[in-house]
Amino acid sequence: MDVLTGLMQGFSIALEPMNLLWCFIGVFFGTVVGVLPGLGPSATVALLLPLTLQMNPTAGIIMMSGIYYGAKYGGSTTSILLNVPGESASVVTCLDGFAMARNGRAGPALGIAAISSFIAGTVGVVLLMLVAPPIAEFALRFGPPEYFALMALGLSMVVLLAGKSMIKALLSMFLGLWCATIGIDLFTDGTRFTFGQIELMDGVNFVVVAIGTFAIGEVLTNLGVQSSGQNFTVPKGLRNLLPNWQDLKDCRFAFLNGSLVGFFVGVLPGAGSTIASFVSYGIEKAVSRHPERFGTGAVEGVAAPEAANNSETGGALVPLLTLGIPGSGTTAILLAALILWGLKPGPLLIQDNPQMFWGLVASMYIGNVILLILNLPLVPLFAQILRLPGYVLYPGILGVSIIGVYSVDQTLLDVWLMVGFGVLGYLMRRLDYPAAPLILGLVLGDLMENAVRQSLMMSNGDIAILYSRPLAATMLLFAAAILVGPLFRQVNSWRLKAAEQEA
Amino acid sequence: MKIRTAIPLAAILAAAGMVDAPAQGFMPDRVIEVMVHSGPGAGNDVFARSVIKVLNEIKAVPQQMQVMNKTGGGGLVAMSYLSEKKADTHLVAVFTGVWWVNPMIRKEAKVTMKELTPVARLVLEPAVMTVRADSPYKSTKDFIEAAKANPGKLKQSGGSLSSRDNSYRFLLMKETGANWQFISMKSGGERVAALLGGHVDMMIMEPAEAMEQIRAGKVRVIATMMNNRLASMPDTSTLKEQGFKVPEVPQSRGFVGPPGMPANVKTYWEGVFTKMHQSSQWQGFLKENLYEDGFLTGAGLNAFVDEYANTMRGILKEAGIKIIR
Repeated sequence: MDVLTGLMQGFSIALEPMNLLWCFIGVFFGTVVGVLPGLGPSATVALLLPLTLQMNPTAGIIMMSGIYYGAKYGGSTTSILLNVPGESASVVTCLDGFAMARNGRAGPALGIAAISSFIAGTVGVVLLMLVAPPIAEFALRFGPPEYFALMALGLSMVVLLAGKSMIKALLSMFLGLWCATIGIDLFTDGTRFTFGQIELMDGVNFVVVAIGTFAIGEVLTNLGVQSSGQNFTVPKGLRNLLPNWQDLKDCRFAFLNGSLVGFFVGVLPGAGSTIASFVSYGIEKAVSRHPERFGTGAVEGVAAPEAANNSETGGALVPLLTLGIPGSGTTAILLAALILWGLKPGPLLIQDNPQMFWGLVASMYIGNVILLILNLPLVPLFAQILRLPGYVLYPGILGVSIIGVYSVDQTLLDVWLMVGFGVLGYLMRRLDYPAAPLILGLVLGDLMENAVRQSLMMSNGDIAILYSRPLAATMLLFAAAILVGPLFRQVNSWRLKAAEQEA
Repeated sequence: MKIRTAIPLAAILAAAGMVDAPAQGFMPDRVIEVMVHSGPGAGNDVFARSVIKVLNEIKAVPQQMQVMNKTGGGGLVAMSYLSEKKADTHLVAVFTGVWWVNPMIRKEAKVTMKELTPVARLVLEPAVMTVRADSPYKSTKDFIEAAKANPGKLKQSGGSLSSRDNSYRFLLMKETGANWQFISMKSGGERVAALLGGHVDMMIMEPAEAMEQIRAGKVRVIATMMNNRLASMPDTSTLKEQGFKVPEVPQSRGFVGPPGMPANVKTYWEGVFTKMHQSSQWQGFLKENLYEDGFLTGAGLNAFVDEYANTMRGILKEAGIKIIR
């Protein structure tokens, strides 16, 4: 079907009052669960699955997708305001988002997050609509060696996340890589570092580590600081609570970079939005004219990851709708819903159900507009939270964190682990170890180990498989360039110093 | 005061007014939890929801049924949760083959299927051997010959070592002397993507998974793995027909209750599933999802529990996996 006629038909479906209502309900719920840490889109979609089975498939998928991309909008809120990552993809947003909040720019940070989510969400739908089948075919060319290279590229970002000391960043990353090995080993069925705990057999949940090191670490650090009431400055006046023209101009490239990276990583089954957000942040910092501003409140550092994790939604729908392959937790539930509706997800899904596909696409355009309208007015409101005095704010963060962590798997062990990682986060802060590489290692470690072991099994142990395939080789070259980059700068500065001394 | 039941705990609950069940005819009086050991969207989860959907349609259960996902430990969390809920009359769980395999290979396991209360086996899942549509292998024989010619060069994507796909691989390798790689991948999506992308040469999947890929012309079935031909693929020959003497590795799904489930509750659920089994909705579900009808309760089911344990123990041993109990 012609894209234009398809889209016209889609809008006529999406604009039906009931479908519009479901779209609104979806994105509204999405925003709410996105704001709440722990409770993610997949849990919410699963919760509402029985309800949607009573609806017609188009309305159902419109609502469930609404929750999915809506949650991405809300995820940044607690990252920016409280340093509590609302969902896994928002960890990177904490780095510059929370720094902006400290600088009294919480409002602009939230605003940029919303705008960048809107732009990327829309770009994601445009790409889903225009290039879904060919890009899905391309994504199939990613086998284990390509995934390994992608993970290596992701891990090389540690260079860009490092503060003053590269050694400390690497140590932090290795700790994350170690944490990633906890649990059942996929290849031997043996268990590693589980100490007989059944709960640890699926590994350490990422949310637990992220909330522990970031949020609890933050609270503990502030306990040590004698403060009188309010810790943040929140400027008065609406003007200072929204991003200004300069912010938007600074983020031009970040919007584009995040949108494209997020979409493409989303298309790859199993890669996930967390990688997308890290990679886009890394790219943004690598090409920036003032990389030193990252980590201290660079507005692009919020825009890029937020864009990436929003366009990832459009990407993740590609393999689901064009191949019947779910690439993430939430799309797996959407797949289940399609099966339960009797729709037979597979390569012919769109062809068999054009109304559903185009109705969904059109609803995503509408949903993104609704989300922007819904979220922008909330920005000044949310920013007021920071006016709360420390004795209200910090216990509040603790409460939200505990509930959030507990809600993931309903096990108390997770809460204790969070406390442990909180103490670790506190120590790391005091000793000036960056926490982001730890998260990076934890997220990528598992995927990277699987990819490298799968690759070597494919090649009977011949390591050449990792770099001899063109796609993999290209990504590895990029990774090498990123790794060597700072070394060059270092050598250069030594040379300059030496030259100065000689002179 | 209610009539005393045989189980003291149930009596206490009844006295407290929490259970409104007379001794003979059990009738659920609050939400029934249906526990699944995998996350939302996984095969088991879809299965549980489908059963609930059918039960709702035929109005077999007067109360709401709610899926509870107890993930972790490859099913162990769910199993131990169930074992701790002794005599909970409003809890049932979906079982699959891992409920037998897990206690055999994991020392952390707390219970075996025998200690729980199996209620009904509902389906048997067939398996088919698939290759990419443009693959040179037209039959399992082609694949095996190629594997023999290039030992260790061909690849199969699948789940864990103790999964059914790998059991079949070991049995086939043992039978033929051929040798190929088994590439474990975490999710079904990754496994299918690896096959479609040409990164592996073969995958054993369930017919429902394969059907849409076949319809789109992306995948070809080179053998069905059960003893008899599948109704949904009458033209595809079985492994046996192709001359491979490999035992069938069954995969079943059904429902199991906590240990010590009161007899009247068990009878109630047997009645519910029997009613469901006879409904046209359920038969339609089986057909649509290419399941084989595996309905079994009572003594037959108990015999199956033992028999299946023995089969799996034998297969795992052959496959070189360490059995601890």
